[in-house]
Amino acid sequence: MKHTVVRKTVRKFAESELSPIAHEIDRDAQFPLEVIEKMQPLNFFGLQVSKKYGGAGLDATSYAITIEEISRVCAGVGLCVTVHNSVGAFPIERFGTARQKERFLPLLASGKSIGAFCLTEANAGSDAGGVETTAVKDGDEYVINGTKIFVTNGGVCGTALIFAVTDPENPRRAASVFIVEKGTPGFSVGEIEDLCGMRSNPVSSLFFEDCRVPAENLLGREGDGLKIGLTALDTGRIGIAAQALGIAQAAFEASVKYSRERQQFRKPLASFQTIQNYLADMATEIDAARLLLYRACALKDSAKPFSAEAAMAKLYCSTAATRITNQAVQIHGGYGYSKEYDVERYFRDAKVTEIYEGTSEVQRMVISRAVLSKLT
Amino acid sequence: MMDAKRNIWVFGDYRNYFQNRVTLQLLSRAADLAPKMNASVGAVVLGDNINEYVNEYIAHGARKVYLIEHPFLARYSIETYTTLIESLARKYQPDIFLVGATSFGRELAPRLAKRLGTGLTADCIRLDINADGLLEQTAPSFGGNLLAKIVTPVSRPQMATVRPGSFQEIAHDSTRQGMVICEPMPKKLPGERMRLISYERKPLRVQRIEEARVVVCGGRGMGSKNKFKKLFELAQLLGGEVGATRPVVYSGWADPDALVGQAGKQIKPQVLFSFGISGAIQHTAGFNNAGFVIAVNKNPNATMMKIADVAIVADANQFCSALIKELKKRIRN
Amino acid sequence: MIKLIVCIKQVPMVSELPWDAHTRTLKRELAEGMMNPACSHALEAALQVKEKHGGYITVMTMGPPMAEEVLREAIALGADRGILLTDPRMAGADTFVTSYILARAIEKMCPDFDLVFCGCNTSDSETAQVGPQLSEELNIPGAAYVEKLDLTGRTLRIQRLSDNFLETIEFELPGLITLTTQHYQPRYVTLSGLQQAFEQGEVVPVCAADLGLDPEFKSTKNSPTRILDVFSAVAQNKNLVMTGAPQKVVEQLFKKFDDKIGGAIGKDLKEKT
Repeated sequence: MKHTVVRKTVRKFAESELSPIAHEIDRDAQFPLEVIEKMQPLNFFGLQVSKKYGGAGLDATSYAITIEEISRVCAGVGLCVTVHNSVGAFPIERFGTARQKERFLPLLASGKSIGAFCLTEANAGSDAGGVETTAVKDGDEYVINGTKIFVTNGGVCGTALIFAVTDPENPRRAASVFIVEKGTPGFSVGEIEDLCGMRSNPVSSLFFEDCRVPAENLLGREGDGLKIGLTALDTGRIGIAAQALGIAQAAFEASVKYSRERQQFRKPLASFQTIQNYLADMATEIDAARLLLYRACALKDSAKPFSAEAAMAKLYCSTAATRITNQAVQIHGGYGYSKEYDVERYFRDAKVTEIYEGTSEVQRMVISRAVLSKLT
Repeated sequence: MMDAKRNIWVFGDYRNYFQNRVTLQLLSRAADLAPKMNASVGAVVLGDNINEYVNEYIAHGARKVYLIEHPFLARYSIETYTTLIESLARKYQPDIFLVGATSFGRELAPRLAKRLGTGLTADCIRLDINADGLLEQTAPSFGGNLLAKIVTPVSRPQMATVRPGSFQEIAHDSTRQGMVICEPMPKKLPGERMRLISYERKPLRVQRIEEARVVVCGGRGMGSKNKFKKLFELAQLLGGEVGATRPVVYSGWADPDALVGQAGKQIKPQVLFSFGISGAIQHTAGFNNAGFVIAVNKNPNATMMKIADVAIVADANQFCSALIKELKKRIRN
Repeated sequence: MIKLIVCIKQVPMVSELPWDAHTRTLKRELAEGMMNPACSHALEAALQVKEKHGGYITVMTMGPPMAEEVLREAIALGADRGILLTDPRMAGADTFVTSYILARAIEKMCPDFDLVFCGCNTSDSETAQVGPQLSEELNIPGAAYVEKLDLTGRTLRIQRLSDNFLETIEFELPGLITLTTQHYQPRYVTLSGLQQAFEQGEVVPVCAADLGLDPEFKSTKNSPTRILDVFSAVAQNKNLVMTGAPQKVVEQLFKKFDDKIGGAIGKDLKEKT
């Protein structure tokens, strides 16, 4: 029953506050500050953060439902919330010292500071090992130099997790994670990217020029970068899968509605077998996606390993989203191609779910490794 | 039928008499139903110096008027009226008791029904006597999307509150005869527990969008803030108000006051013009009870076009201009 | 500590539900439920009283087991305890019986209560009768359509609009009020509140026997009113679609509807030659 009520609660908020402006903020690539402010006291920015630090302490399934319901209405804001929660706040709660948790989590959980996760660079996308940003120890500080690109929430982030190489001379080029706050001298934000979809999210580059951070901002230990990154991305994948699922669900609902109302050849589209087949395939795919997602959540909640399952969920949900939104536009015909209807936005929003937080190709790497590593 | 054994009673709700015609409408309907059950029509009137209403009710169909007059009753009071009418009902045992669904009526009737241990149907729009001789009460539910047919098989009186406007009053006829039964004000009445501190009559016709008879709503399809302004001109010609959807308010084309829908105002105009609106539920929930809906949209499949009475497939902005031009011509004449 | 009770109803989210002639009830299980809007306002008013004066809020609902959702929601918002009146024998009650059951539950589970809050009406049945009938059952003063309220000690002062009369009324507790949706905009539920409501919230299920209702008692039998039939309102005529050049369409529009539009604006819109 809790999951049903969580779903209804989030849906009610999303439809009241986000639905009326979703079209406009996508068109104008505007981050809806007033709505974000309304979301802050409702714990949207501390979904899984423990109550001790001001979070809601939700289980993974409730988390996934929340992200799905927001994304169903406005994927750009769903993206902001999931990235903030799963790869912004979560790594700090998981790997932070008590002091770091006290310093950063309450601010993050309240949403007063938005989190961002900065790994990608011009030469380091899927190849995370290609990170060139450096963090050199100098006394009790680290000096960070480099550029991070395509940072979700970049334009508004208050707390950024930066992946930097701490020992450039070392052939192993071990990476570490640093918490850098907005306003730190040497840390600046670039132009907001002009993207195909998720346009209400202020994605940008972040520049670090001799940016000095205290040593106590190192998350975990030097060299923990890979470990933190992989763990963060496991949770992140659940969020992105939920996001993709929400987009697919919205496109599906729109397709059902349109098929019922639109008439051609003196019959509603829904009376034609072709359309019925499309809808049947959509419904099945979404159900399968949903079950994969919730299975990954259940594993996470039982503290069992869930990397491969989360990768499967992310892979499947994002593929479903792209396929379903594409078909939704097709079902809507010419109107689907017009901004008069929301489906073209779902179509544009869906694509990136196959790319960020690990491309589908990377997900397959994760899954095949798990498959091949099983001793027969 | 002065000695008829059965009685159909109507509560005399004379407050706001000229605008509130529901008592007269109910007397008319009661007069239609009375012959089918060998009953006579009575009005129940409480107040002070209310002879004119007593005469009105007789002239509009009441054969009997049960009257309690006393200075204490000069203003409506739920507690005292409930107690007095309860004792009248116990004394005279009416078979049916109809109350107009004004705010007062809708508070009075349930209390009476509870005291008399009988059933009450709210906000009826139809009343008939069925084959079993029962009062068949038709009332809307779910915002009027469903109608329910209800009866009170055993307990008496069969009570209903009736939506004003459901029936036509019969013409005033001062030659009609009626008997006035004066009931005394009881010496001892239970004290009132609710104290009226102040009482202010608000003007009945306040031109707020919620009360407006004509509303012109505009959505994104109007195109721009400047084009949206035309709707104000149209509304003025029609003596109506302008409503807006949330995206329009968000974009600054209209004030937040103009928002019509779940998060905004509920409107019930006689005529609603809808320009360039897709018909999202957050907006359409604002006008469940609109009368005549004319929607203009270049997309014939928009939800708004399906629920309108007249769906005009055209560019909202162009049509608005053409409509304004034509209206000016006709009104001038 | 002031004891507040809020009566809440879970209503279906859809505007049309099929009617089950066999059980003589609406097939509510087919629709998702939500807290009745007016009840949310009543709850918000109670929460504000609690915030201002301190107090203990019991929320009560009568419905199928699924109605527990609205109790959990209310607890997430700040209510202290929920009472779920649920029993097949209670189903299909009219307002006479509903108010009777609610009164018995209040007497049994919340004796010495101070103030009962109800929504003025529900989005499904819209009778607005339960509030007044409940105050009769409990023999306490009750005012409907309350817009604003003010509590000083044990005196409650309310403001309400009845027909077009704005009334300010006072009475001593215990009492009952029904709230409109004009004021007390409901706050949004927080997710941490929900988590806690499910983890620690107290919801007490109560059946007919628990209330000591007669073993023969059955809502459908004991309700003085009986629903004979439920049907769709007059079938929506297929709407009139008009296309063409705007000027031509405008002319057609007036040709067909000059009376209707003219009637609404109080002007003669006939074409003058």
